[in-house]
Formats: sequence, C-alpha cells, structure tokens
Amino acid sequence: MITLVYGGSGSGKSAFAEDLVCKTDFPNRYYLATMRSFDEETKNRIARHRSLREGKNFITIECPTDIVNTIIERDSIVLLECMSNLVANEMFSGKEAKSFYQCADKIVEDVIALSKKTASLVIVSNNIFEDGISYDEGTKEYMRALGLINKRLAELSDEVYEVVVGIGIKI
Amino acid sequence: MNLVIGGSYQGKTEYALHTFPEAKFFNQAHLFIKKRLIEGKVKEEILAEIMAATSEGQWVIIADEIGNGVVPMDANERNWRDIAGQILIELAKEAKEVHRVILGIGQRIK
Repeated sequence: MITLVYGGSGSGKSAFAEDLVCKTDFPNRYYLATMRSFDEETKNRIARHRSLREGKNFITIECPTDIVNTIIERDSIVLLECMSNLVANEMFSGKEAKSFYQCADKIVEDVIALSKKTASLVIVSNNIFEDGISYDEGTKEYMRALGLINKRLAELSDEVYEVVVGIGIKI
Repeated sequence: MNLVIGGSYQGKTEYALHTFPEAKFFNQAHLFIKKRLIEGKVKEEILAEIMAATSEGQWVIIADEIGNGVVPMDANERNWRDIAGQILIELAKEAKEVHRVILGIGQRIK
C-alpha cells in the first residue's frame, strides 16, 4: 500500500504523515530521511523534525539517494520524507545533472521497488508549484522532475492527501 | 474564531464576508506575521498576539497560503514561510471552522 502526503512548506504535512503512520500497528516503523545536513539551517531543520518524531518509535535511516538499497523488514511501515530533497540529491549527485525524465524514471522505479519490500509506504512530497515565479532553467528542470514524480506517485498511490494548515484533505 | 486560508487573489475576503456576515475580520494575517518577524518577535509571541486580538466576539482570520512555492533564496523569506505555516497550523487547531478558498470556491475543511 502506498500513501502520498502532499503539501506546501509549513503546511504540517510531516506531522500529518507521522500521525497516519502512528495510527497503524506494524511491528516496525522506519523513517527514511532524505535531507542532507550541510549547514546550520539544515541541521536545525533536521533537529526540529527529529524532536517532532521523538517517542513515536521510528527507526531513522538517513537515505539521501538510492532509497531502494535500504534494508527493512517485510512487515514494516516506511515513511519517506521527503521527495523534494530526494529529487534534488538524485538530480545533482552525479558528475552531470540528470535530465528531469531520467531522474523521474529512476526515482519512480526506486519507489516501486521499495514499496514491494514493505507492507506500507507513506511518501511525503512538496507542492512548490504555485508561486507564479518564472525560474532559471536549472530550477525549472528540477520542478519538471518533481512535478512528474508527484503525478506518477499519485497514480501509484492507494490514497492521496493534500495537507493545508495541518488538515489532511483526501483527494 | 474561524480561519479562511487560500492563495492570493482567490476571492477569500469576498467568500469570508458572505460566509460570516456578522464577524469581525483579521485580514492579511500572513503579512501581520511578516511585520512582527521583521520587528524581532518570535513565533510564540506572534501567535499569542493574534489569539488575544481575536478572542472577544466572532472573528475570522484570513491568511494567504504562502508555502506552495520553490524554497526562497533569502533566509528571512524562508523563515517567514516556515513560521507563518506553523502559526497557521496552531490557529487552525484553535479555530472552530477552517475554510479553504480556491477560484472563489470555499471548502470547509474543519
């Protein structure tokens, strides 16, 4: 089973996704963290999310790329957070930046493979598409990748939620 | 207190006036938060101030959704997005009703 939790920055999508996971009773709860820590701000961001998860029995695995390689038990629920960082890491991790469709294909394949290794997969992804600003080509390529991935994930998912001010709306 | 949230130019104010004709309005809450952040206030202070201002009588807080974009280059803009989001989540928890407006169409989500 795949669940997609979608929302903007500061929408409360993480807390909502964690609540979804915590309502289930799978023996193992994994948290695949895709954000790379490289400065004070990312460190603080990671620390804030860690404190939000405290006491919720998550096993955290840091996984900035290649989510398919994680080793997890079959009877688990996995929370993948979040797609926007994963896409950035995958896109810009090699010697040359991948094209948006290469990047999207790779990530969607990885998600499908990961979903087969676990009983339930919850994916958090970002809405970055509604500020009306025309960005440079590099950013646009990234947006194309994330947009295409979001669309494909929504197709693959059994349930899709959009989170607004902390409230999940099933769509 | 009730909360109306949605992107800019989506008809939030008109919707709010129709839906809550008797209410008093705390409009542009996202800009109020930005102003207070520039003045050096922290999240808890700003939240408390908004809660206090809207505690007497029937109030509707109206705010723009500002989180649905690419991460801004400017650190203050990023911080504003984060804090505005966190404050609006707290306000939504306190609110009796939360309405979301797109294309002038309001949907009650709480």
